[in-house]
Amino acid sequence: MAITLTQGILIAIFAIIAGIDFWLEGFYIFRPMIVCTVTGFLIGDLKLGIIAGGLTELAFAGLTPVGGTQPPNPIMAGIMTVVIAHTTGHSPATAIGLSLPFSILMQYIILLCYSIFSVFTKKADEYVAKGEFRKFGMIVLLPTVLVALAYSVFSFLSVYGAQGLMKTLVNSMPTWLSHGFTIAGGILPAVGFGLLLKSMLKAKYVPYLLLGFTAACFIKFGNLMPVAIIGASLAWIEYGREKKEQDVNKKFKNMEKSLEDVGGEEDGI
Amino acid sequence: MESEKKERNKLSKRDITKLGLLSLFNQSGMNYQRMQADGWTFAMIPSLKKVYGADKKGLIEAVKANLQFINTNNYAAPLLMGLEASLEENGEERSTIDGLRVALFGPIAGIGDAITWYTILPIVAGVTASFAKQGSILGPLVFFIVYVAMFLARIPIAHLGYSAGTKAISKIHENSAIVAHAASVLGCTVIGGLIATYVQIDVVTKIQVTSSHSISIQKEFFDNIFPNILPLAYTFLLYWLLKKKNVNPVTLIILTFFLAILFSWMGVL
Repeated sequence: MAITLTQGILIAIFAIIAGIDFWLEGFYIFRPMIVCTVTGFLIGDLKLGIIAGGLTELAFAGLTPVGGTQPPNPIMAGIMTVVIAHTTGHSPATAIGLSLPFSILMQYIILLCYSIFSVFTKKADEYVAKGEFRKFGMIVLLPTVLVALAYSVFSFLSVYGAQGLMKTLVNSMPTWLSHGFTIAGGILPAVGFGLLLKSMLKAKYVPYLLLGFTAACFIKFGNLMPVAIIGASLAWIEYGREKKEQDVNKKFKNMEKSLEDVGGEEDGI
Repeated sequence: MESEKKERNKLSKRDITKLGLLSLFNQSGMNYQRMQADGWTFAMIPSLKKVYGADKKGLIEAVKANLQFINTNNYAAPLLMGLEASLEENGEERSTIDGLRVALFGPIAGIGDAITWYTILPIVAGVTASFAKQGSILGPLVFFIVYVAMFLARIPIAHLGYSAGTKAISKIHENSAIVAHAASVLGCTVIGGLIATYVQIDVVTKIQVTSSHSISIQKEFFDNIFPNILPLAYTFLLYWLLKKKNVNPVTLIILTFFLAILFSWMGVL
C-alpha cells in the first residue's frame, strides 16, 4: 500500500513535533515507542504501529544521546520502520533494518547542525554585550526552528517523495566526507574548552589542569566523578592552606599594628 | 570582601518553578563549540533579570559569564540552575559561581545519565515494549505518562538545587576569596578531565615495515608518549590562538572543520 500525499504531510508535521522534542529532550515522544504508534495511527494501521513501536524501542534502547553524542536517529527509524512495513509488506522486524539508512542520514544531518550552529555563538555574544536579550533569545531558539525544518523536509521526502533516492544518497556519500564530519565533531569541543580556559586559566592553575587531564586519561570510568573528587580534594587542601595563610597574615598585621601603637605612645612622651 | 557584596533582589517560589520549566530549553541552542551554553543561558535570563533588577551592567556581566561551555544531563540541568540562581541572588563572587558551575556540570551529568538513560529508560522501555509487542495501546500510553511525569519532575529538581544553594551559601560567605580560589582549582582540574574525555583525535595512519608487519602511529607512538596527547596539544594551540593572538572562535571552528575533512581525505585521521 502506498502512502498518500495527505498522510505524507501529516507524518511530516508529526516529525516536526517529535524532532523539536528530540532536540530539547522534553517529553520523549521522539522515542520509537511513541513515533511508531503515532505513525501507525496516521497511516491507518494503529496495531502495526504499536507492535513496531515495541520492537524498535527495544532495538534502540542502547542508542542514547548521552554526553552530547548523537545516535542513529530514533524518529526516522520509527517513522520508516512503520512506513516500510506498511508499504512493502515486510515484517516490522525486517523493516527496522531497512529503516536504518534513513536513520543514519538524519543522524548526520543533526551532527552537521551541531557543528554549523557554532556559528551563531558570536552573534549571541554580541547581543548579550549590547543587552539585547530579546534578540539573544531569538538567536538561541533559531537552531530549534532550523532543526524542525530539517525534520519536516527530510521526513516528507523519505515517506512520500523519494524513498529510493534517499537510499542511494546514503550509500553514495563518499566515506572520507562523512568520516571527516564525524572527526570534526570529535575535535570541536576543543574550541569550547579553549574559550573556557581563556577566561579561567591562570598560570597557577595549570598544574591542576594537568592533574585532571592525567587522572581522566588513566582512570577508566563512565563519567568524570573520579576526576571531580580529585579536584574537590585539591580544592579542599588549597582552601585549608589559604585559610591558614590568611589567619597568619591577620595575626602579623595585628602585631604590627599594636607595635606601631606602642611606638606612637613612646613618641608622645 | 564582605563590603563589596551588593544587595540583590530575592527570587520567589514561582520564579524557581518557572526556572524548572524553562530548563526545557537547555538544548535549544545546542552546538559543538559550547554545547548547551546558549540554551542554558536562555533559561537563566528571567531569574537573572529579577535578581539584578535595575543593575543592567551587572546583568550583562552575569549573562556573559553563563555563555561558557556546558554539557550536562537535561534532568540534572534544573538542579544546577536552581543552585546557580541561589548563588546569584546572594551576590556571590563571579568566579565562585562560574567555578562551581563548571566543576559540577560534568559529575551531575554522570549521575543524571546513569539514572535517566541507563536506569529509567531501559526499565520503562522493557516493560512497555512487552505490552506493545502484543499490540496493546497500554504500552505507548504508559510510556508517555511516565515521561510527562519526568518532565514535571524538573520543577521539584529546580527547587532542590535552589534550597541546597541557600544552605551552602552561609559557609561560602565567610571566605569568598579563598572559596573562589578553591573553586577555580576544582574547575581547572575538571576541565583537564573534560579535555581528555571529550576531544577525540585518533591518527589511523600505519607505517608498513614489512609485508606482514605495520606500525600504527597512534598506538605505537602517540599512545606511548601519553594518551590523549593530541587532544591536549590541540586544545592548548586553540587556547594560545584565542588568548595571545585574539583569533575569532568562528575562524577556529572553520579551521577545525577544514583540517578534519582534509586529514580524513588524506587518510590520516
